[in-house]
This record gives sequence, C-alpha cells and structure tokens, in this order.
Amino acid sequence: MSRRRLRDGLLATLFFGAALIAFAFLALPIIAIFTQVSPGRLVSLLGKPIVTDALVVSFKTTVAAQVLILLFGTPAAYLIASRRFTGRTFLVTLVELPLVLPPAVAGLGLLATFGRFGLLGSTLDSLGLSVSFTQTAVVLAIVFVSSPLYVRTAIAAFQAIDPDLVAASRTLGAGSTRTFFRVVLPLAFNGLAAGEALAFARGLGEFGATIMFAGSLQGVTQTLPLAIYEAFAINFDVALAMGALLVAISAVLLFTLRLILSWQPSRRTSPSLFAPLS
Amino acid sequence: MKTLALVFIALVAAFAISGAAARTNATVTVYAAASLTDAFPKIAPGAKFSFAGSNALATQIRKGAPADVFASANMTLPKALKKDGFCSKPVLFTRNTLVVIVPKSNPAGIKKIYDLTKPGVKVVIAASGVPVGSYTLQVLKNMNLSSGVLANVVSKETDVREVLAKIALGEGDAGFVYSTDAKTVPGKVKVLKIPAWAQPKVQYGICTVTASNNKAAAAAFIKKVLSAKGQKIMRSYGFLPRVKPKPKKK
Repeated sequence: MSRRRLRDGLLATLFFGAALIAFAFLALPIIAIFTQVSPGRLVSLLGKPIVTDALVVSFKTTVAAQVLILLFGTPAAYLIASRRFTGRTFLVTLVELPLVLPPAVAGLGLLATFGRFGLLGSTLDSLGLSVSFTQTAVVLAIVFVSSPLYVRTAIAAFQAIDPDLVAASRTLGAGSTRTFFRVVLPLAFNGLAAGEALAFARGLGEFGATIMFAGSLQGVTQTLPLAIYEAFAINFDVALAMGALLVAISAVLLFTLRLILSWQPSRRTSPSLFAPLS
Repeated sequence: MKTLALVFIALVAAFAISGAAARTNATVTVYAAASLTDAFPKIAPGAKFSFAGSNALATQIRKGAPADVFASANMTLPKALKKDGFCSKPVLFTRNTLVVIVPKSNPAGIKKIYDLTKPGVKVVIAASGVPVGSYTLQVLKNMNLSSGVLANVVSKETDVREVLAKIALGEGDAGFVYSTDAKTVPGKVKVLKIPAWAQPKVQYGICTVTASNNKAAAAAFIKKVLSAKGQKIMRSYGFLPRVKPKPKKK
C-alpha cells in the first residue's frame, strides 16, 4: 500500500514538474524582454522615429487588413458553415492552409501572384497598379496569413447557431438578408469577435511574408516586426523596446479575447476556438 | 500514468544524450557575411555556416551565439567585437567592389548609374547597418547622387542577397550589390560598373570568436581561407586578392 502511494506521489511530482517546466519555458523569454533594460529606458526608446514610424505603419496596415478580412471573410465563412456542397472539405482545407504554411512560403506565393512578373502582375501593371514595395503589399501579406484565423473561428461560430432559430426567423417572415443581420450575426458575434481578435494579433506580428513581398522601408512598409529585425542588428535596446511594446499589445488583445468569450457563456457560440467544424 | 512517466523520462534522457553529443562535436561553426554564401562552402565543405548580414551576425555573437569564426564584409564590425573582447584581432582576408544591377528585362530602362535618380525608379539597397548598405551610401556620396537616389529607394534589405533576390526577381528596378553577388545570377541581371574613383574600400575581416571552445578548428579554418588554395577559390568567385597588387615601378 505504502509503496503504491510512494509511486503515485513520485509520478505526481514528475507530472507537476513537467507542467512547471512548460510554464516556465513559455514565460521566461517574455519576462526576459522586460528585464534587460530598465522600464524607464524602454519607454523613452519608444519615442525614436524608427519605433513611431513602425507603429503607424503597423496599425494602418493591420486595420486595413482586418477590414478586408471582415468584409470578405464573413460571407466566405457563412457559406462554408451553412451549405453542404461537393468540394467543401477541400475548400475548408484551402482556407486553413495559410495557417500552417511557413510565412516564407506565403511570401513566395504572393510574389508569384502579385509580383511584377507574377500571375496577375502584368494585368495589374496595365491598370497602372504596382503592388510590390507598397503598403498594399503589406496589407495583402497580413490578410493572407491572418484571415484563416478569423474564417475558421467564424465557421465554428456560425455552425454553433441553433438552426431552429434561423428557421423560426424565416417562417416569421424575415427575408434571408434580414435573418442574417438580425439573427445570425448577433448570435455568432462572440465567435466572430474572438476570431477577429486572433487575426488582428497575428496580423500585427506578421514578418516573413511581408519582408519578402513588401520589402522594408521606414515609414512605408516597415512594420513593427520588420523594425525589430532591423534594430536587432543596430541597436539591441531599441529592438527590445519594440518587442516589449508588441508583447503588451498582444497580451491586451488575448486578454480581451478571453473576456469576449466569457461574456455570455449561455450563448451557443463555440466556447472553444478550435471546435470541430462539423 | 506509468507509461506517461516512462515516456517523459525517455525524452529527458534523449535530450541529455543529444546535448552531450552536440558538445563533443568538433565541426567548426562559421558566421559569415551573406556575400560569402557561395565561396566559403567550397573552401571548407565540412564546416557549418550561418550566412546573414554581418551586423546581424555580430549582434548574435555579442549575445552568445555558438560561433567559432566570424567573417565580416567589413573591418569595422570585427574590430568593434575585438575591442569589446568578443573576438581575436581581425585579419583582412579578401576585398570586393560594388556594382549596380538591374533586372535582365530592365523595366526602368536604366543605362547608366545617373539614371537611378529618374523619378519612379524603384531602387533597392541594404539597410545602413549592413556593410553593403553603408558602402552603398559611400558610393552615392562619392558620386554626389545621395539625395536623388535615396528618394527612389523602395526597400532597405537586411543583407546583400535579399537585394540581389529582389532585383533578380524583377520586383525592383535597380540595386546595389557586390560584383561577386551579381556573378551568382548570370542571365537574370545586367551589371552596371561603378567607376573606380567612386568605389569604397570594401575589405573583409575574419576573426576567432573568444567564447569558442573550438579554437583550434577555428584557426585551421582561417588558415584555409588565407592559404593559396583558399584565395584561389575566392578569386574564382570574383573576390579580389587580400592585398592590392602594387603598381609596378618602371
């Protein structure tokens, strides 16, 4: 009996030890960013032009990207969630693919599509549009890598809606448009907001696809992550300051996300971000 | 639970063993400027290389990266590392020149370097902290083109090979790289020579990293680079001899 207890105790210790190591491993690099330089200096470094310019570029491009994601991603998600059609699984896989692709591959794909000699390059050129090295390129890169986070969460949110409620709305005389805006959207709101918060945070951190496709120029295409990479090799403290800023912003975003998800637990929106699709 | 614990112990043991194996590994690790990407592996095929902008590598070495040798595209960075005790006294091991490259299709119709100031030309250079970036600024200053060309810069890349890629792809209209980089993508770019009077002094420095526990291998690598054979390989990639041949006196 006592031997068994001893063994259980030992295993429990190992188990919690492993969990503790996991927490420490995730927390330490984040804490370390704030320990290398004093908080006062971190804040004062945030006033440097490379930082303020990058902050403006980051916010402009991320907000533009999120508007596009909401406008185009919401109908796409609703279509996948509400219809059953051949090729649906294929479409879902396609939508989720950028999530697991290395950003470098995303950069290659965007160059091969929108670059001067890409698939659409000559078409864009004849329209007088040149995408590479512009803020449009940054926005496209962010949309490409971050939209799957919104779309997959939105699909789950739409699927979690009780179909009887939608049917009731229709039988009570509301058209499909009215039903979508008055019933479906409000019911799915929490899930959509959660997905959007995730996509926003991911968009803010986008690096690989941007540096390949949009290049890096202060005040034009240099977002915070790109500025960190440049500052890293020149002034490590400035890089740390920007890193701390991104940690703070991302933490606030994720915390907001938790709040959104816990606001109305009685609602049938997906409580899990990675709920199964069907 | 028991299986889980066993798996956990096995994993920890595996990590410990692999860690021990990594420590006894005698392969030399060389942190080298991106422009050396093609030449260095030919000189020492067995070595491990990390190619990037010299300034990024210098920062990594300052932060304790496991480098044995640092080969920089200038003398400034290794000299600064030496001053702060991070590496040995750097040795000049090769030299280089700068060129302007345009895509083969030459979309902006650039015929001479002064064309880079024409409005709308997309010029790609390296960031000023990268050696080739600061050399580029010197060339522009020497040719009195600073304001005109810098106004056309659309991207500042993190190393010379990124500049090369953006031009070889045709995304940018013109870029500043080393003549040795231009040679690695024949058929994709056209080269415009920069006159000798406008050329900066492009000197490459190599040193042994102080924190290296593989100093013998590091020294052997540097010796290889400086050897007649190593220098011949460097020249075959277009690098210039360490010492400028003295003009013959008549």
